[in-house]
Amino acid sequence: MGRGNMERGPFLTLLFDPARVFRELADAERTRIRAIQRYLPLLLLLPPACAALGGIVFGWRLGASEPLYLGTAQAVIVSLLYLFALCFGFFSTVALARWMGVTYGAEGSYRVYVALFTVVCAPLAVASLAHLFPHVFFNVLVMIPAVIWSMALLYRGLPVVLHIPPERGMLMSSALVGWLLVAAVSLLGISAGLWTAGLGPAIRI
Amino acid sequence: MNALELHKKIEENAGLLIFGILLVSAIGGLVQVLPSLFQESLSTPLSGTRVYDAVELTGRDIYIREGCHVCHSQQVRPLVAEVERYGPYSRAGEFVYDRPFLWGSKRTGPDLHRIGGKYSDIWHEVHLLDPRQVVPESIMPAYPWLAERPAAGVGDIQAKLRVLRRLGHPYADADIAAAPQRLEGLREIDALIVYLQMLGTGLDADAADAADAHGGH
Amino acid sequence: MQRQNPEIYEDRVVVRLVQFSVLWAVLGMAAGVWVAAEFLWPTLDFGQFWLSFGRLRPLHTNAVIFGFGVSALMATGFYSVQRTSHVRLFLPGLAWFCCYAWQLVVLLGGLSLLAGWTSSKEYAELEWPFDIAIALIWVCFGIVFFGTIARRRIRPIYISNWFYGGLIIVIAMLHIVNSLALPVTLDKSYSLYAGAQDAIVQWWYGHNAVGFLLTGGFLGMLYYFLPKQADQPIWSYRLSVVAFWAFTYSYIWAGPHHLHYNAVPEWVQSTAMVMSLVLLAPSWATLINGVMTVSKAWAKLKRDPALKFIVLSLAFYGLATFEGPMMAIRSVNVVSHFTDWTIGHVHSGALGWNAMVTYGTFYFLVPRLVGAELHSTRLANLHFVLALAGTLLYILAMWASGVSQGLLWLSVDRLGELSFGFRDIMAGMRPYYGLRLVAGLLFWGGTLLMAYNLFMTLRGRRTVAVSPPPVAEPWRLERGAAGIATERARA
Repeated sequence: MGRGNMERGPFLTLLFDPARVFRELADAERTRIRAIQRYLPLLLLLPPACAALGGIVFGWRLGASEPLYLGTAQAVIVSLLYLFALCFGFFSTVALARWMGVTYGAEGSYRVYVALFTVVCAPLAVASLAHLFPHVFFNVLVMIPAVIWSMALLYRGLPVVLHIPPERGMLMSSALVGWLLVAAVSLLGISAGLWTAGLGPAIRI
Repeated sequence: MNALELHKKIEENAGLLIFGILLVSAIGGLVQVLPSLFQESLSTPLSGTRVYDAVELTGRDIYIREGCHVCHSQQVRPLVAEVERYGPYSRAGEFVYDRPFLWGSKRTGPDLHRIGGKYSDIWHEVHLLDPRQVVPESIMPAYPWLAERPAAGVGDIQAKLRVLRRLGHPYADADIAAAPQRLEGLREIDALIVYLQMLGTGLDADAADAADAHGGH
Repeated sequence: MQRQNPEIYEDRVVVRLVQFSVLWAVLGMAAGVWVAAEFLWPTLDFGQFWLSFGRLRPLHTNAVIFGFGVSALMATGFYSVQRTSHVRLFLPGLAWFCCYAWQLVVLLGGLSLLAGWTSSKEYAELEWPFDIAIALIWVCFGIVFFGTIARRRIRPIYISNWFYGGLIIVIAMLHIVNSLALPVTLDKSYSLYAGAQDAIVQWWYGHNAVGFLLTGGFLGMLYYFLPKQADQPIWSYRLSVVAFWAFTYSYIWAGPHHLHYNAVPEWVQSTAMVMSLVLLAPSWATLINGVMTVSKAWAKLKRDPALKFIVLSLAFYGLATFEGPMMAIRSVNVVSHFTDWTIGHVHSGALGWNAMVTYGTFYFLVPRLVGAELHSTRLANLHFVLALAGTLLYILAMWASGVSQGLLWLSVDRLGELSFGFRDIMAGMRPYYGLRLVAGLLFWGGTLLMAYNLFMTLRGRRTVAVSPPPVAEPWRLERGAAGIATERARA
């Protein structure tokens, strides 16, 4: 226990003892918060980097016989947009959660919220390694348990970290799930809109 | 009296509430839907579009009965990729005799609006009786009963033509009188294939393009 | 001075309608699971015309919308209109007629669909004899509902009744106009409208069947039952007023967003797109009202599985009412039209919103109707997990398959030629159909648990006789908006 385990790194602790990580965030343990925050850039960069690499080297397989290749320039642009979307998604979720927090009696500094969502999103970031082999169905299969895990972390961790009863946490988490569903579908719609506008895989409208 | 006070009056009067709902909900339909019912371009046939004859109509009614429109659309959109895949895009003037319309809302299977003439009659027969004989990966159901039933059994063809004539389809008395004979000896599958083979063939694409250029619809 | 009301509410018809609603949920979703399986194994019709996909799919949609959905709306409508009016139902006999006649229409109508009697028009497939029956029953429904409001002992008509009222009036208008046809024989008629005109009328109907039945009607359910379950008044009366009228006005225009890039005038498509986006505002106004109302009721979540359903139904309502306008944007629609994405969108609304808000309402309502506890809270909680998992998996699978299809259909190679054959693309979607089948089984499984749970709760018990509370007279109009809202919560 104690310092010994913290030296294992917050990531491993997160994997095997998330409850402990949440408790430490709740106590506003500065070292813990900072340690987690240091992982945030990695978590945000990993998915677009894997997607770019996978798209260029292997080509996106959407199920039909041949892969769809993006030219290098296009792949980089798309990945940058992906990065932008993730950053926007992450920080807007943090901001939204803080704004909602008032309704649910939540207490926490900005840093704590950032740390909380870094923890919640960690499984998704790890799962994005699947983008290295961008077969859509394979990615979907990998994402499903990742999403389940992230949702579980959200519902379990949010009330602990923000010092509210679990039931209030359930409501706040559900509101955030609603927001995240909207964000996810927006990503689909914006992508479709961009493809129609000419940015992305070659289609003829 | 401000808006909220006005609203309280509506809230306390069921009649006003009913009237209000009817009025407000009717506006969209009156502005958007009603004018299209009087729009010439939506009810004027293109030059190659004609009424369905007795056999084609029977085939069309079988298509509806079996729910083919649930998986197949009949609407080629004016998108380059779509025109390349299916043929000339669908114009409103081609559908003026379609009661009801069969544009569909889902493509589990391919669009069929330009299917006419693309495959042989035999191909269609084998495909309808067992799709996987010609398309191994197909998920379309088989329709073996179509080969066992007579086309004449698909409702009263003369009554159908008469009703359609009342709705404005130009059928001559002779057509209606001759209709049952046309169906003699035909199975349901034959009628359906006749319908499929005429689908989309009535478009003179150049004339249609010219009409579009002149602000057709 | 308080006047006693010697009447008792007519709740036995409510119980009966709830039972039928659950029955159709089980049967209709079973049909859904069957057609989902047919996507994978097309020979699951065993060569029988009555199991053929083209006939079974409309059976599924009709059973869930008109069997499950409308029965639930009638049940909750009759329950809530009495209590918000503080009077017994007007013409209870007519309400019983509505109940049984409607079930007969759904049953016989469903069988007629299997027999191949169909107009082909979505959610309006039933042929003309059924259309007439539906119109007649609907008029009776309106008579009972508005008749009860007319006899009310409280002057203001509570907001849930506006939504149920909207359901009744607007669906009547849509149904009658869209169903106009000339009959040929009992099983066949030809639509009054043809071609592009028929398309416009059909989607004016089809979209607003979703709008006023699946959205509006269930919002009525929400506006009554959520404050009851949360034991809180609706958060903002003003917001609900604005939301209702904006909703009723703008939804109607959205129909032709089903016809983007189709052979209908461009101005019709554009107005539909714009109004679909405008529709976001009133939809989300209601969402906010719901979320803020329930936010105060958190303490109840510990013991009340019903409330969990309501909470998540709001999240999916938010998703569906955002996704719809987004898909109505032409550049998105280019990719989504005709694909599985549309199906995913339908089910995020149907499973995530409609079914879940109904399930939450039933879990709350049924024990109360018979004055007992829910048979098993544990089963209800398990149901919640299955429903949530099923809904999410369905949505994810169809997003992936729909976007893939849409993109692949439009894909061209470096020479500008189509990259993929249709068959190839279709075969590639198979794994997603597998996921969707699993999702459907999860959701249906949860529904079966609920059916058992509610059956055990009702078994051997009688409906409790409840009298309307006495009303203080004379009714004071000086109370502000908040005062009215509070009074409703105590009804």
